[in-house]
Amino acid sequence: MSQTPPFDEMHNADGTIREPYLILEEWLKEQPPQALSLMSADAESLFRRLGITFAVYGSNEGTEKLIPFDIIPRIISAMEWRRLSKGIEQRVRALNAFLYDIYHRQEILKAGRVPEKLILNNSAFCPEMMGLDPTRGVYSHIIGVDIVRVGPDDFYVLEDNLRTPSGVSYMLENREAMLQLAPELFQRFKVAPVDSYPETLRRTMESVAPENTKGAPNLVVLTPGIYNSAYFEHSFLADQMGAELCEGQDLFVEDGMVYMRTTTGPERVHVIYRRIDDDFLDPLTFRPDSMLGVPGLFDAYRAGNVTLVNAPGTGIADDKAVYTYVPEIIEFYLGEKALLKNVPTYNCTNDEERAYVLDHLEELVVKEVHGSGGYGMLVGPASTKQMREEFRKKILARPDNYIVQPTLALSTCPTFVEKGIAPRHVDLRPYVLVGDDVRITPGGLTRVALKKGSLVVNSSQGGGTKDTWVLED
Amino acid sequence: MKIAIRHDLSLVLGPGVQRGVEHLLLTPQSGPTQNVLGWTIEMPGIETAATFIDGFGNRAHLVSQVKPEAELLIAVSGTIETIDRNGVIGKPWGDTPPALYRRPTAETKPIGAITSKFRTAPRTGADRIPLLHALMTRVAEVIGGPEEAPAQAQSQTGDDATHSQSQSQSQSAPEASTTEAAPRPPASAYAHAFIGTARALEIPARYVSGYLALAEDGATALHAWVEAWDDGLGWIAFDPMLGYCPTDRHVRIAVGLDAASTPMVRSVPVVSSPENRELSVSVAQ
Amino acid sequence: MLGRTAQNLFWLSRYIERAENMSRMFEVGYRMSLTSRREGGASEHLISMMQAAEALESFELKHKQADVQSVANYMLFDEENPSSVKSCLLAARTNARSVRTALTTDMWEAINAAWLEFAAIRPRDVKGSKIQELLGWIKQVSYTYRGALLSTFLRDEGYAFSQIGNFVERADNTARILDMKYYVLLPRATVVGGDVDIQQWTMILRAASAHRSYRHVYHDRYKAWNIADYLILRQEMPRSLAFCVSWINRTLDMLEDIYGERTAGHAAADAVTELIDGNGVDRIFEYGLHDFLTEFINRNNRMTDALAESYNFY
Repeated sequence: MSQTPPFDEMHNADGTIREPYLILEEWLKEQPPQALSLMSADAESLFRRLGITFAVYGSNEGTEKLIPFDIIPRIISAMEWRRLSKGIEQRVRALNAFLYDIYHRQEILKAGRVPEKLILNNSAFCPEMMGLDPTRGVYSHIIGVDIVRVGPDDFYVLEDNLRTPSGVSYMLENREAMLQLAPELFQRFKVAPVDSYPETLRRTMESVAPENTKGAPNLVVLTPGIYNSAYFEHSFLADQMGAELCEGQDLFVEDGMVYMRTTTGPERVHVIYRRIDDDFLDPLTFRPDSMLGVPGLFDAYRAGNVTLVNAPGTGIADDKAVYTYVPEIIEFYLGEKALLKNVPTYNCTNDEERAYVLDHLEELVVKEVHGSGGYGMLVGPASTKQMREEFRKKILARPDNYIVQPTLALSTCPTFVEKGIAPRHVDLRPYVLVGDDVRITPGGLTRVALKKGSLVVNSSQGGGTKDTWVLED
Repeated sequence: MKIAIRHDLSLVLGPGVQRGVEHLLLTPQSGPTQNVLGWTIEMPGIETAATFIDGFGNRAHLVSQVKPEAELLIAVSGTIETIDRNGVIGKPWGDTPPALYRRPTAETKPIGAITSKFRTAPRTGADRIPLLHALMTRVAEVIGGPEEAPAQAQSQTGDDATHSQSQSQSQSAPEASTTEAAPRPPASAYAHAFIGTARALEIPARYVSGYLALAEDGATALHAWVEAWDDGLGWIAFDPMLGYCPTDRHVRIAVGLDAASTPMVRSVPVVSSPENRELSVSVAQ
Repeated sequence: MLGRTAQNLFWLSRYIERAENMSRMFEVGYRMSLTSRREGGASEHLISMMQAAEALESFELKHKQADVQSVANYMLFDEENPSSVKSCLLAARTNARSVRTALTTDMWEAINAAWLEFAAIRPRDVKGSKIQELLGWIKQVSYTYRGALLSTFLRDEGYAFSQIGNFVERADNTARILDMKYYVLLPRATVVGGDVDIQQWTMILRAASAHRSYRHVYHDRYKAWNIADYLILRQEMPRSLAFCVSWINRTLDMLEDIYGERTAGHAAADAVTELIDGNGVDRIFEYGLHDFLTEFINRNNRMTDALAESYNFY
């Protein structure tokens, strides 16, 4: 377990308040004792009425839960944000360049900077994408970068999430909720707005429409349907962008084009923000048993008649094993040093590193290479002996299936819990849009581990969210 | 050599289908070993089909129909001028990077009895080509059975192939036709075995689907063979079923990781194997 | 608009209306059973009510005895009964989730809140006075949703499909309520068209919320002829077949304006209209009230099919 106490985003080591939180501290002091619990209850009924829920995997179909919303905002200063966003922009540019390269001439593999096998033998690599030229050369248009903070100037990237990152609707609804619950706070702070996100998403999608588009491109959001855990977000984004929310059955391919079935007949679709995984996108090219996809969709994409956002095969660039090479990737394509740090990662296929890992499991975090959402994960300091034994066996059986990282002391933010306000660990997922330009919404989704001492912020594992404020100068 | 090809396929989609969507890899491209003199595909929806180059450099078609007939007929015909280059394809400009073809697939698992022979064999530089030839021979022995010499295999296939045949053949496992009681494994089995071992030895190897003209009088077959990578010569073709490097009797249609990535026709609704109603590959004058 | 969206809006409104109607029909059967003076009458009333709701056959597969508790469970809470209030509310919410973006916040909140509240009710707690209370609440849900629709929904195609769904369902239900009286109760009593059982007539009118307004319109005691006239032909009666049909026609005209063409759905609606416009009550009785109602229900169904075809529901 790391010895230094985690970085507290509100308090300095001597107990004084850090500058971005000064006004908040004042406001908190002014609140009468019951005000925060009332506000918290209001927030819950607000979210429930709006239907902002998510389905939990493994529980009964149709079970919907609310992600707990914490009423105390997380605050980032303008200067901190500038640094962060520069680093994020650098990363997404480099990763898109990387995707273009490995689906074309594979220079980075030939140069030996990234092991060829790691990419070409990887199940996340999509050979069907070879040689395809997406509009503007962009593969991953919608990105959510997971970042943790361990010190005043210490930010680490945990994951890049280049496939279909979720949670952006929470960013927007959390802000909406805060504006309703504590309007007076916004008069005291200058908080950068986040509500232009849907408009920017629309603009980004329009900017990558196929070249043969005539007139305004028709945009749709493709969802697996109402039982998907993120269905709320799909419908929310479609609504906010003014795009149709389609299921696979609403679309069809004819004459190499994609159309949607409307009350007045077929209407051509140009750009699809698809929230269906690669494997299920098109039964003609990928899994033939997929009932969610659209037969012929991938071929229509290859023929240049529709744009998929994000492109299939982007998962190779956020693969946990490829993650280790991102600093290398940034240097190769941009000729710059990475601005944001990578978490040091142990490679279990290396004998020496594996031996170290097995000896120190109680200090480390073990993640499945293809896992997500906090499943298949071991957090050493919070684990039991039995859990560690289980993972020891798993790592020995399939060393290539796991990556191991030191336990980071995630920063804490004041959070409203049963006993009042207490520090809880948080991470941050800012959202990036890449089209004719790179645009990062100031803020993002702050996830908070509501259990005392817990480092797992995933909503499926008892995490909550906070509104995230980026202050303007 | 000029080769005339006529290939009629039938796809039974079943009655009452609202929409048919097909992905075709049925178009040869000109290259070092062949020039396409003429080529046509006739089928419902082909006039408005989208055509494009797929991830492996093949010419593909996306064809669709509204309320198609229960049975979809596809008629392919054309003439190809082939050039015998002893199997050497070389390094065509713009080709997919060879390293891609080291990727293992479910169909190309290495077979121990073959791979074990070569595990320690020198495989770089000038040693590569002899190794690939030895591998071709070994694949024929193990897959075809030890009693069968490659030369016999050739004549046997040739003798039994008929000029114009109506028979059902699996797309994913094309085979040189035979009427023997114990049929030989399909060409795809030889190709997959070759590819599996080559990739296990870190040599890029890819699957080729195509047509084969065996005798002057026009023997016919759908066929499959492989191409393996040599740093000096580039891609070299091997036909492990026949036991020699492809000549001007091989017409190349598509390449890919394995049979699954190079089907001549794939469709939704899913049809496991289109029926070949007529197939003739004959040498034109 | 996606064909599926149109379909979802159509069914969303239908299910809300159906939930309300199921609660009305149950209320009628329930009240009749409470006041029945004959031996075995209580169960008989509940059975005839379920017959009208087309729920009897499936009910009998599960239950031997039709008493208030078993019927309440089946009609209100049983998810295996596709027309139970619970099934209707769930179907309405599922449809609403699919077209969330096409709804206003008020409409969505009305449905969502109703479902969450209903799903939390334990059936065994609903007895005695709670039954009436719950039935009233279900009607309130329908009113809230409809109120939200009428005061916040854009008057476009989505509104049109919602309205059609609503009135197709209501017409169907009114026809069935009437049929319950003639088809199930009277044949073994006296002459069809007679006015022997005032109490039962009252219940029919109640099921259509028409027992008080009847007096204002007819200034007369309950009579079969009047009741049929009222529930079938009177334009001012908001649950009458004529009223529903004219709403459907008006809404179809709106779709014609929006899309610039008449469809097979319009033709099928004309066939329904003909049946109502071309017949007075005398002729209806001559024709046979039961036969007339059956024909109406059939034509109403055919119109739904034609609309689905014309506007690409799937």
